[in-house]
Amino acid sequence: MTRNLSLLAGVVLVGLVVGTALVSFVWTPHDPLLVDASVRLLGPTGDFVFGTDKLGRDVASQLMVGARTTLYVGVVAVGIAALVGTPLGILAGMGARWLGELIMRVNDLVLAFPALLLAIMLGAVYGASTLTAMIAIGVATVPSFARIARAGTLQVMSTEYVLAARAGGRSRWWIALRHVLPNISGLVLVQSSVSFAIAVLAEAALSFLGFGTAPPTPSWGRMLQESQELLAVDPRLALVPGAAIALAVLGFNLLGDGLRDRFDPRLEVRR
Amino acid sequence: MNSGAERLPGGRWLGDGWAPAILRRIVILLVSVFVASIVVFAFMAVLPGDPAQVALGVNATPELVERTRAEFGLDRPLITQYLDWMGGVLTGDFGTSYVTREAIGPQLVDRLGVTLWLVGAGMLVALLIAMPLGTIAAVRHRRPSGTAVSALSQVGVAIPAFLAGIILVQIFAVRLGWLPSGGWTPPVRDPVEWLRGLILPALSLGLVQGAVLTRYVRTAVLDVQREDYLRTARSKGLRPYPALVRHGLRNAAVPVLTVLGLQLATLLVGAVVIERVFVLPGLGSMLLDAVAARDLLTVQGIVLVLVVAVLFVNFCVDVLYTMLDPRLRRS
Amino acid sequence: MLGRMRARWLAVAVAGALVLSGCSAGSTATVGGDDTLAVGFTAEPKNFDFTTTDGAAIPQALLYNVYEGLVKLDANAEIAPLLAESWTISPDRTVYDFHLRSGVTFSNGAPFTADDVKFSIDRVRTEWTISLKSTMDVVDHVEVVSPTHARVVLKEPSNSWLFAMTTRLGAMFDPSGVGDLANRPVGTGPYEVTDRRRGDSVVLSANPDYWGRQPAYPTVVLKYYSDATALNNALLSNGIDVISGVTAPDSVPQFEADTRFNVLQGTTNGEVVLAFNNRRAPLDDVRVRRALTLAIDREALLAAAWGGRGTLIGSMVPPTDPWYEDLSHSYPHDPERARRLLSEAGQQDLHLRLRIANLPYAMSAAQVVASDLGRIGVDVTIEPLDFPAVWLQQVFTDHDYDLSIVQHVEPRDITTFGDPGYYWGYDSPRVRELLRRADTGSPRQQVADMREVARTLSEDAAADWLFLFPNIVVAKKEVTGLVRNQVSESFDLTGLGRG
Repeated sequence: MTRNLSLLAGVVLVGLVVGTALVSFVWTPHDPLLVDASVRLLGPTGDFVFGTDKLGRDVASQLMVGARTTLYVGVVAVGIAALVGTPLGILAGMGARWLGELIMRVNDLVLAFPALLLAIMLGAVYGASTLTAMIAIGVATVPSFARIARAGTLQVMSTEYVLAARAGGRSRWWIALRHVLPNISGLVLVQSSVSFAIAVLAEAALSFLGFGTAPPTPSWGRMLQESQELLAVDPRLALVPGAAIALAVLGFNLLGDGLRDRFDPRLEVRR
Repeated sequence: MNSGAERLPGGRWLGDGWAPAILRRIVILLVSVFVASIVVFAFMAVLPGDPAQVALGVNATPELVERTRAEFGLDRPLITQYLDWMGGVLTGDFGTSYVTREAIGPQLVDRLGVTLWLVGAGMLVALLIAMPLGTIAAVRHRRPSGTAVSALSQVGVAIPAFLAGIILVQIFAVRLGWLPSGGWTPPVRDPVEWLRGLILPALSLGLVQGAVLTRYVRTAVLDVQREDYLRTARSKGLRPYPALVRHGLRNAAVPVLTVLGLQLATLLVGAVVIERVFVLPGLGSMLLDAVAARDLLTVQGIVLVLVVAVLFVNFCVDVLYTMLDPRLRRS
Repeated sequence: MLGRMRARWLAVAVAGALVLSGCSAGSTATVGGDDTLAVGFTAEPKNFDFTTTDGAAIPQALLYNVYEGLVKLDANAEIAPLLAESWTISPDRTVYDFHLRSGVTFSNGAPFTADDVKFSIDRVRTEWTISLKSTMDVVDHVEVVSPTHARVVLKEPSNSWLFAMTTRLGAMFDPSGVGDLANRPVGTGPYEVTDRRRGDSVVLSANPDYWGRQPAYPTVVLKYYSDATALNNALLSNGIDVISGVTAPDSVPQFEADTRFNVLQGTTNGEVVLAFNNRRAPLDDVRVRRALTLAIDREALLAAAWGGRGTLIGSMVPPTDPWYEDLSHSYPHDPERARRLLSEAGQQDLHLRLRIANLPYAMSAAQVVASDLGRIGVDVTIEPLDFPAVWLQQVFTDHDYDLSIVQHVEPRDITTFGDPGYYWGYDSPRVRELLRRADTGSPRQQVADMREVARTLSEDAAADWLFLFPNIVVAKKEVTGLVRNQVSESFDLTGLGRG
């Protein structure tokens, strides 16, 4: 019961973020980048729902376009992680024992370079940008996908129908595509949702440290960082993007939880 | 190919039993540290810009740059530079910074001390939150109070630690004036001031991690509750909490400990941001300053220390896991 | 020494704890709490060697406090005696005779004599590497006439030389004290560096053998914060006594409203400049530069980016310089004219890279500039670069930029426009000639010529001087003697008192 509730809440929150981002492509209340000193630091009014920032830009419009940045970073980072990590995990689960061992050892090594550290290092080499942040978060997330995929693969490989298929002379490729991939896709989807939440947090922290999205592209993390000095004067400016980050993370986490309950039993049944 | 469930991470070479398993872990740790050091070194070697030029500023004559390059040994082949660096690191000598002209090793130790206090205190806060809340959430998981705790932990996970830090400073330091807004007093200099300075950073770091940990504790306790012996104990009339304390928590500790280890790594990196918010002279702020100043040798040293620390923590978790988990011990 | 230091520190820390905990019970004695002043800064010195390390942070902490020169710049921007009691200048203005104060010693115990003057001035040419050193090229040689009489002979008259002697370039060193300048500074000043915690603070303690008046605060802790917010919070939560310079201007009203604090707002030497790469097309075209200058509403920019705190100057001259003239109305905001000028210059779909220092003022100003230029159809990409390391390399040295924003903090740095190799890429024989004449001519000629330089630069739109950085000092009411205008390179602690 509560599980369905968390799935529902997750879908609603994530839908809200995605919807906002999509709408921002065609419509925002104001130009999010338009600076206007005459309306700086306004409180919420009819014209500016969330007020304006210190440069007189509309906070609501920035928030909408910022959702795009958040999703963009999340999609690319999780995409990198899933596309690299999942095949590696399957390979580790199906391949020769030494290969599996090697992949998992390298995996542990990558795990020792957390996203933040990688992003700072990448930023030092290539200059900090959204791109370096996405790549760093993506690379650092590869191990979680590899682990999940390997665990799932090992489970599938021990099922009777796979043993039967192997006895029937089916190739490894066929088994991987026909049995392993469909069976672990649920796990990967769950992991994607959870990783997405982590990526959103990581991007916010990086932007806060100045290693994320460069101005003027709106980003929730940088909005938070830019408004930090105004916290005593006008807490709204920090709390609005802060709440957006928290809601997005909450949404992806709840979605992950909900999906987990839907997919886990299926794995049991098919086995 | 045998069934996958029996295949454990770490493979089977070096034979069975947990002593060889630990030996195997040590070998893996050493190899990982070696590879990591190469990765870190290579990463810094591809960085554009001449460290000597960066250190000397833009008006240095080419001769002076050359002289400095020779002085820092930057004119030698990369392999030699790497071996020299690693040789030094093994004896605790991380070289002399191009920018601060000071030995890096003692600085690292100094800064690591600050970070470890922060991480330790953050971990303590996280445990103090997660242990009771996680247990409550599990024992009452079908009742509103348990659901409320679970929901609360979900919200806690979603809040960036640095945002928590900024808000805590605003309330407790700026508005109420109860605690310092930042800065660091070494414990030997003034234990009271040290503790006061540690409270807010530890809370910011610990609250969020505590929320994460609460969810794991809940799952672990739930799993234990389903075990037969606990059901038996409860059917014999033991109330839920005493039964849990007497029989369950030790078993629940194994998965929690594993997560704790992984969390330690997260905390170590999370400390980077928290140190920034609270102006603590730890490894994180040292890293950010060194990156900003393109003080490569220092960056290299810090990254190596952080990476090795994470590897070491993971190693410890693996070892503890091997020793505590009865299934592993049996094999 | 170390024992004494530790004891003193313990006292400081205990006192600090008592002050901070305020209402906490069981407080016993207050030991020396009033003797310590904590001043907060945002830029930490990387090391203590300003002879080879560029940047404002080191002289800010050390000049006049730890190091002294023959002369200093006082609060009114006048050249005043320091280690030289008096000096005479020959009629042809090439020979300077300095009569030195006697009984002055360095913090390592060595006496200060004319030999040290020769040593220090000669050393600029041989060992210094920072960009300012070229100002001392005009020195021909230094003679030691007697232990208290040093004579400096210039190759040609130079009005800027004596001024330069008030900056870090004039700092006096002891030959036995330069072994480890990066870590152990040895000067004749009222303070010596007694402790340093990297990433946290530098502790200055009064030099008991100082030749002059002992400073009001025996111990000054210079505390360094990573950002303006942390610095503000430190003062608000009683962690420090003085903010050396507020860099979060929108937070100033909260200090002004608070009866615990005094707020002083004055000027600095820091011109926030939107640099045009004069050498590179299309910015080598004066019409394009003028168009960009016309397109930017500097008054609105100052209001948006810096809370309206700062001064519009329209040239590279702060109001504290003798040849200041208000040129801020040379290019009134006029997007229409800007657009016309651009089309006259044949520039459509202009795309420019704005590569800035990753500092708050530049980040804010850049977003306003990008927005303003967007309105006349110029597309601007903002690239924040780590300051100083990356900015110095890529923009300053390699000239790889179209537009840049950085604050130029050196005093009288208008002369950089006379250097065609400088990153402005500005080359005007007329400006070079004017600058040369100003430096070698009479003081009156200097003022006239410097005015002309500023006007010419404005005419050529050699850069867009967005605004002059304000000097906003916030201090607890008890701290007195703070200076409104920041004219020297030093955060001068010697004038401070206790109210």
